[in-house]
Amino acid sequence: MIAFTEEQEDLRAVVRRFLADRADVRARLDSGEGHDLAVWRQLADQLGLPGIAVPEEYGGSGGGPVELGIVLEEMGRVLLPSPFFATVALVGQALTASGDDAAKSRWLPGIADGSLTATLAVAEESGRATDLTTTATGGTLSGTKMFVVDGHTADLLLVVARTGLFAVEGTAPGVTRTRLETLDRTRRLARIDFDGAPAVPIGESPPRKALDLAVVALAAEQVGGAQACLDMAVGHAKVRVQFDRPIGTFQAIKHKCADMLLAIEAARSAVYHAASAGDELPVAASVAGAYCSVAFTHAAKENIQIHGGVGYTWEHDAHRYLKRAKSSEQLFGAPAAHRARLADLVGI
Amino acid sequence: MHDDDFRARLRAFLVEHHPGRRPKDRTERLAWQKAWLAKLFDAGYAGPSWPREYGGMDLSFARQVIYQEEYAKARVPGPLGTGLGIAAPTLVKYGTAEQKERYLRPMLRGDAVWAQGYSEPDAGSDLPALRTTARREGDEYIVNGQKVWTSSGDIADVLFTLVRTGTPASRQHGISYLLVDAHAPGVTVRPLRDLTGDAHFCEIFFTDVRVPVADRVGEENGGWPLVRTSLGHERAAGAMNQAARYRRVLDELIELAHERGATADPLVRARLADFEMRVRIMRYTGMRTIADILARGEPGPASSTSRLFVVTFEQDLHEFAVDLLGPYGMLGRDDPHAVQRGRWVWGFLRTRASTIGAGTAEIQRNTIAEQLLGLPRDPAMPPSSR
Ligand SMILES: Cc1cc2nc3c(=O)[nH]c(=O)nc-3n(C[C@H](O)[C@H](O)[C@H](O)COP(=O)(O)OP(=O)(O)OC[C@H]3O[C@@H](n4cnc5c(N)ncnc54)[C@H](O)[C@@H]3O)c2cc1C
Repeated sequence: MIAFTEEQEDLRAVVRRFLADRADVRARLDSGEGHDLAVWRQLADQLGLPGIAVPEEYGGSGGGPVELGIVLEEMGRVLLPSPFFATVALVGQALTASGDDAAKSRWLPGIADGSLTATLAVAEESGRATDLTTTATGGTLSGTKMFVVDGHTADLLLVVARTGLFAVEGTAPGVTRTRLETLDRTRRLARIDFDGAPAVPIGESPPRKALDLAVVALAAEQVGGAQACLDMAVGHAKVRVQFDRPIGTFQAIKHKCADMLLAIEAARSAVYHAASAGDELPVAASVAGAYCSVAFTHAAKENIQIHGGVGYTWEHDAHRYLKRAKSSEQLFGAPAAHRARLADLVGI
Repeated sequence: MHDDDFRARLRAFLVEHHPGRRPKDRTERLAWQKAWLAKLFDAGYAGPSWPREYGGMDLSFARQVIYQEEYAKARVPGPLGTGLGIAAPTLVKYGTAEQKERYLRPMLRGDAVWAQGYSEPDAGSDLPALRTTARREGDEYIVNGQKVWTSSGDIADVLFTLVRTGTPASRQHGISYLLVDAHAPGVTVRPLRDLTGDAHFCEIFFTDVRVPVADRVGEENGGWPLVRTSLGHERAAGAMNQAARYRRVLDELIELAHERGATADPLVRARLADFEMRVRIMRYTGMRTIADILARGEPGPASSTSRLFVVTFEQDLHEFAVDLLGPYGMLGRDDPHAVQRGRWVWGFLRTRASTIGAGTAEIQRNTIAEQLLGLPRDPAMPPSSR
């Protein structure tokens, strides 16, 4: 179990400051990419963040899921629309964990310096990550992937197929990408059809570990989002006056805030443990996946409630958190699916 | 000594000297438990966080955790009364040298059982409303009034109480902290049955009870700030004890569900998985708190929210266990058909107290909101309530 080191706390402070200066979420939502490329360049060139969890031999700074979790928690706080999550948290980690040296030296340096964006394609039309139909034969891949994060722009697609993990260039022949209309406009999703697209197999083991790491990364982001909701709610409760009192003096409001904190602290425990879990990763990822998304959605809903009519207004950010939270619940398996897996893993 | 050696030695001691099965008879049970605590003390295994000068072990924090874990696993009797966690730290911090010398060792050895006389019929959450009076007469106080819900009151030797030494309207500014001899003339203890059918707590009446002024802890009318003293670190180590205990309880529940063929039902599996998730988070939180203490000397906010997390968990767990029993959940503890001697049904009833005793869940939420989140104070509440 971790207590953060001074370096890690510094990392958190640096990222938080950087994001506070730049993350004006709304300004970038309607661009074609769905994020601000200039910010992505700054993240890479000034802070070196894309390489945060990439080994030093591939140009990264050699951190791991703990450092990555810190960065994601901060990004989750501001709902940063960015290729970071898909590129670094999904693909960077998956490649690093793949044990495939050729793949690592081919793509990790680009991820580390921010010149390559990437994403992981998991779910299919069934919406699940199981019963996959995407298949690879003779160096080509065919099938349909849904709900691919930033799938419409990523340079590199890492595809979970029946027989393992495959890499496909985003602009390769046989690849058709369609942006989906999303509930959460801060995270773009795509449908990708593969029709005999050239594909490179990655590693030999099944991509389960990549999925577990993705779940933990998402959970870290969820903790940040939930904390932002609590901060907003508490801030509002201190200044909004009704009946001649700040509404924060009312217990109905106090208790909601206390329960949000309880859930967030528990979620933190789950994520921080999972980020340093080692062999226990599958169980720890299931626990984090089952708990954190529920905690985030709960916090997002309560935040709207505590803001009253203001919280229901489009101009206020509260709804963006709700949409991110509800969407994130489904991204790499719903809470119920994580609980079911946990039951299997521990022999219930 | 290496930590692992410490663990091994402690475990060996607990196994070798395990006092055996809990006697059913109350009197026998008390003697059985006292004998155990004395043995523990005499062997130097009592009071993991206590200073050595009072017979404690003064363990490093990491060792306290080991101690708590092993203690939970060994299924040996816990401390008697409620003094250890609450009154002892208060004495250590505010007591006079004589008070420490006189009271601490016997409390730790189990020779004197301590019980907490704070609550009164009209002063529960609103403790500053308490009305039991202590009128000074020379070097004695004359105490009159009533306490209620006093856990272990029937076996207590010393009552640590809050009494009114100020005017009737003085609220928290007129309260003193007094140690009352439970066997003194004028003290009447009456067991109160609780909803489990047991008599876990008592009501206590004081009629002209004489208490030496030397048995006041802290200043006259200065008792209120003493209410909240407890060992934060010890509580954090205790959280690991609880996580270890609930790990075991949940395993037993899962076993029961398997035996009854209930795990074929996906809803049952989902509920069990939910408890699995929560019991693990309980442990992770304990570990995180410990890591924080070791790194920074301070537990983080999670240690304050973890009690609410645990009480909700234990209530849900036991109620689910009763549901799992189906019609057998209707049987009381004494029926020969009762499943596992009625432990789940009893636990369901017993854990109703979890969100009431030692400060209700509502009061805890108030405290979290005000002290951790900085929300404005409720104008009706005293500055530091329980
Ligand atoms: C098993 C058990 C053991 C106990 N052992 C001891 C003991 O050893 N010594 C001792 O002194 N006491 C003991 N108590 C008493 C315990 O401390 C009180 O029951 C507790 O503080 C609540 O007080 P109350 O019962 O008067 O409830 P009340 O204070 O009357 O509360 C009733 C309800 O109103 C709510 N409420 C009250 N005030 C507020 C508020 N300001 N904001 C929001 N909600 C509020 C409460 O949360 C609760 O839901 C024990 C209780 C139990 C159940």
